[in-house]
Amino acid sequence: MFEVDARGLSCPLPVMRTKKALGADPGSLVVLVDSGTAKANVSNMLADEGYSVTVTDEPDYFRIEATRS
Amino acid sequence: MSRHRVVGPSAWILGAAGLVIGVGAAWLVSQGNPGNMGLCIACFNRDITGAFGGAWANMGGVAYLRPEILGLLLGATAASFVTSEFRPRGGSSIPLRFVLGFVFMLSSLIFLGCTVRAWLRLGGGDLNALYGIAGIVAGVMVGVVILKQGFNLGRAKVTSPIVGWIGPAIMAVLLVLAFMVAFGSAPGFVTTTPAGAKATAEGAVVQGDSVLKPPGGTLEDGAVVAEDGTVISPAESVAKAPPMPGGRRAPFAISIVAGVALGVVAQRSRFCSIGGIRDAVLVRRYDLLFGVAGLLVGATVANLLLGQYNLGFVGQPIAHTNALGNFAAMGVAGLSATMLGGCPFRQVIMSGEGDADATVAVLGMFAGALVAHRFVIASTGAGLSDKAWPVMAVMAVVLLVIAFAKRERVA
Repeated sequence: MFEVDARGLSCPLPVMRTKKALGADPGSLVVLVDSGTAKANVSNMLADEGYSVTVTDEPDYFRIEATRS
Repeated sequence: MSRHRVVGPSAWILGAAGLVIGVGAAWLVSQGNPGNMGLCIACFNRDITGAFGGAWANMGGVAYLRPEILGLLLGATAASFVTSEFRPRGGSSIPLRFVLGFVFMLSSLIFLGCTVRAWLRLGGGDLNALYGIAGIVAGVMVGVVILKQGFNLGRAKVTSPIVGWIGPAIMAVLLVLAFMVAFGSAPGFVTTTPAGAKATAEGAVVQGDSVLKPPGGTLEDGAVVAEDGTVISPAESVAKAPPMPGGRRAPFAISIVAGVALGVVAQRSRFCSIGGIRDAVLVRRYDLLFGVAGLLVGATVANLLLGQYNLGFVGQPIAHTNALGNFAAMGVAGLSATMLGGCPFRQVIMSGEGDADATVAVLGMFAGALVAHRFVIASTGAGLSDKAWPVMAVMAVVLLVIAFAKRERVA
């Protein structure tokens, strides 16, 4: 399971790091972010890359789980 | 199922958000805001600074607690609160974010508009904005190179709620003061440019039929005459005097409601005026570009329908025609915004979401505005200040030093 911890990073680093992880063409991926902006940008990118995305609202961050659909 | 989608639903949402912001900005001009300045984050933050800087900072003509900014930020707070996206956080390179906000403001006041107003100016037919937009593209491209080298201001951390609430709290206080201004009971330390006032080239200020400056002056046959009878500004100069930007404003209720509405739209859509170019170059994503495209289309169509469209280079509202200056100033602004992680619009919105680092960037903008006017670095309709080029050169060096210092090796 690939995990990208992008918590606390400014734009566009969460998207850059997720994109880098996608280079290995993982079947599934978890990205942790802590701002609404990063949550939306990363989720949108994963959806556009053909993943189905679920976001869980943790107390201090958002957990984005993506599975190749 | 296709594996890669170039234009997804989020792109259309951003395009629609940009359209709403562009139309809203053009409409605010028709309601009284300055020309092609229905919404300008730099100009309006500058006006807020002017309300406190006043005559000391040469800001008498650009002093008004713009309700749009207060509404944007508090609208974002409300939207983020409802969607549980209000997250108090901060602590990522605080001093550098102040400097980047400061640099962004200074360069915007040399161009005469931020990276949002550059597109709005083009949407009003001001072709000088093309040089500014070319500058934004160049600045963002440099920023992309810097990002690829591993530039990172560091991680923000979860902070106590009090820290996250600083941005909204500042705006709430300013909102109370803005209410007092609107109802004519503002405290003495708040300066407000008289509505509809015009400044002549000789420094006299006229509001309708009365002379506000010099004290005791009168209008005789259209000329401003001092108490002792000397002519300060000839009638021809008075007739040609442009309105002071701070005195051009939509009614308070319209400005505040529009600000809140656009704040909600921006918070939900993640609209950013530099992210589009950045993401297109950096990660081949075009969502955010749909946002600025929508803003340009919305502003252009609305300006045409409202009869505010004026195509050309000369005689544009609150603009100068120095092409190289416009290019360089927006280049510096584009680079500083890229290094900040988002344009000033986004900084205001993120400040509303509890991001204390974004609040610091906004405070840096306030400081930049004070310095730009106190030391006469800001441009005027006549052109650049003689300090503009040296200041831009220093700012470019400062940005590159920060870029180098905050490079982190990425495996």
